[in-house]
Amino acid sequence: MKGRWNWFWKGGSVLLLTYVVVRGFCTPLQPGLVSATPSQLSVAPQVVDLVAVGQPFATSEDLPASFDVVLRSGDQLIRTDVVAITPHSVRIQIDVPPTMPSRALDAYLFTPASGTLFLGNACFVEDAAKGDVPPEFSASAPDPQEPDLGFSFPYQPNIMESIRNLLWHVPMWFAMFFIMGLGFVASLAQLRTDSISWDMRAEAAVKTGLVFGLLGLATGSLWARWTWGAWWVSDPQLNGALVTVLLYSGYLVLRSAMGDDDRVGRLAAVYNVFAFVMLVILLMVLPRYTESLHPGKDGNPGFNSYDLDNSLRAVFYPAVIGWGALCYWMYTLRLRMNRCAHHLLSR
Amino acid sequence: MGQTLHTLRTAGTVARLEWQLEWRQGHQLAAVGLFAIASVYVAFQASDQHTGAAAWTAMLWLVHLFSGFTAIGRLFDRERSNVRRYLQWSAEPLGLMLGKLFHAVLTTTALTAVVLGAFLLFLGWPQGIESPGKPGLLVLGAWLGGLSMTTTLVFVSAVASQVRNGSGALAAVLGLPLLLPQLILATRLTRGALSDEPWVMLVEYPVFLGALGAGTATIACILFPYIWRA
Repeated sequence: MKGRWNWFWKGGSVLLLTYVVVRGFCTPLQPGLVSATPSQLSVAPQVVDLVAVGQPFATSEDLPASFDVVLRSGDQLIRTDVVAITPHSVRIQIDVPPTMPSRALDAYLFTPASGTLFLGNACFVEDAAKGDVPPEFSASAPDPQEPDLGFSFPYQPNIMESIRNLLWHVPMWFAMFFIMGLGFVASLAQLRTDSISWDMRAEAAVKTGLVFGLLGLATGSLWARWTWGAWWVSDPQLNGALVTVLLYSGYLVLRSAMGDDDRVGRLAAVYNVFAFVMLVILLMVLPRYTESLHPGKDGNPGFNSYDLDNSLRAVFYPAVIGWGALCYWMYTLRLRMNRCAHHLLSR
Repeated sequence: MGQTLHTLRTAGTVARLEWQLEWRQGHQLAAVGLFAIASVYVAFQASDQHTGAAAWTAMLWLVHLFSGFTAIGRLFDRERSNVRRYLQWSAEPLGLMLGKLFHAVLTTTALTAVVLGAFLLFLGWPQGIESPGKPGLLVLGAWLGGLSMTTTLVFVSAVASQVRNGSGALAAVLGLPLLLPQLILATRLTRGALSDEPWVMLVEYPVFLGALGAGTATIACILFPYIWRA
């Protein structure tokens, strides 16, 4: 019975992670506008290209006439004509009015199948005077179409395709919490019973958790480079994560410094309990009260305030369960190694 | 009730013992003071009066941190071995921890005064700041930051003292990561106290520092009995 259950959850975690890898990398990203060229305009008729990323918002059969682009200045809309369309870009002819409420223009692209695409501060008009848009230049907003995007990940400015990293970065930390929590419980039991078996569990848990912590730091660093522009920034969540990893490295240093001292289990358990309390303070309490670049800050470092939509959820939850189960699997292997080593050494 | 009284009495005895030890081995106290003042003087020589608030804060806390290490890092390692064995057999662990903590708090208070005093004497206020807007908050921050570092260091010192060889180096390795959060909070508080930010914006930092110090002291007290008679 136990053997069958082991097959079930281990096989299940592999299947889930396979699903996550395939779904995570093959699901298209919803289209989003990223740039307008030229972005500096002057008061004259001119041509502007708007470029999008993600899945195509048009097919080669689509006609330019079925797309609409309007530019917004303050609270007023400026008319444009769509002259050409490709799957990832749209070329517009715009007659820039001499007066407008704001010189910074936002762009709206209304598509028949992909909904409305938005680009804030798309263009800047250097020589426009302040005033209302003259009626011959102004436009009214077309009716938005209900988008039919299929199974796709949401487009977020700045994050773009890197949103897939959510499926790797966040579950790493969840798995680390989970396995470090297990180690904490094992250390408490060690202090109560003083038995080597609990000590071996705690050591295996910390070693496995450290692997996931390091992977969390690595994936986070990659993500930070892409979205924030630097491999490392000073941010409460990052400080907490680094300190946590250093703390648990200290656990290993302490163990190796003790060597084959009899009291190693007791002392390591004491340190581990202390380290886990610090982990909770560092990663779950302090970031709630300080400003952070991480999403969902100012009150909640959890994930329910990530802009998870249903398609992302459908891959994110399996990823959390899959990585958690894989982490536990790694822990059992490490524990078995510890037991073998202990058995061999005590013979 | 009797147990609590006994614990407190042990704490008092241990604190008095520490105090006597401090005076008898006067060189230890002098060594810490010398270390602090010499470090401040190095900072003074390196900075030639044009130090901005950021560098000033960084140097203040580096000096404070390593003076703290020198003073507290070997707290559980300095009795002679026969005294230590006697304590191990006779003293109640919680009382012993409380006594050591009390002594560490006193030492840190004195150390904060020495470090901050030497800093103001040699370096003065950072460039561009005639006198800080919130001197009280600056002093409170230096003191609370020192205290919350100290309670962690006491715990680390207790753990490291159980390792037979090389406990000094081990205390440093284990202690530095554990002290990072306190240092982050403390440096921000010092920067804030030097700037013209209203003090209401900074109230959370002393509160966090105090809570962190009290929290680590509590955990240290709970866990210490397990280490002491291991």
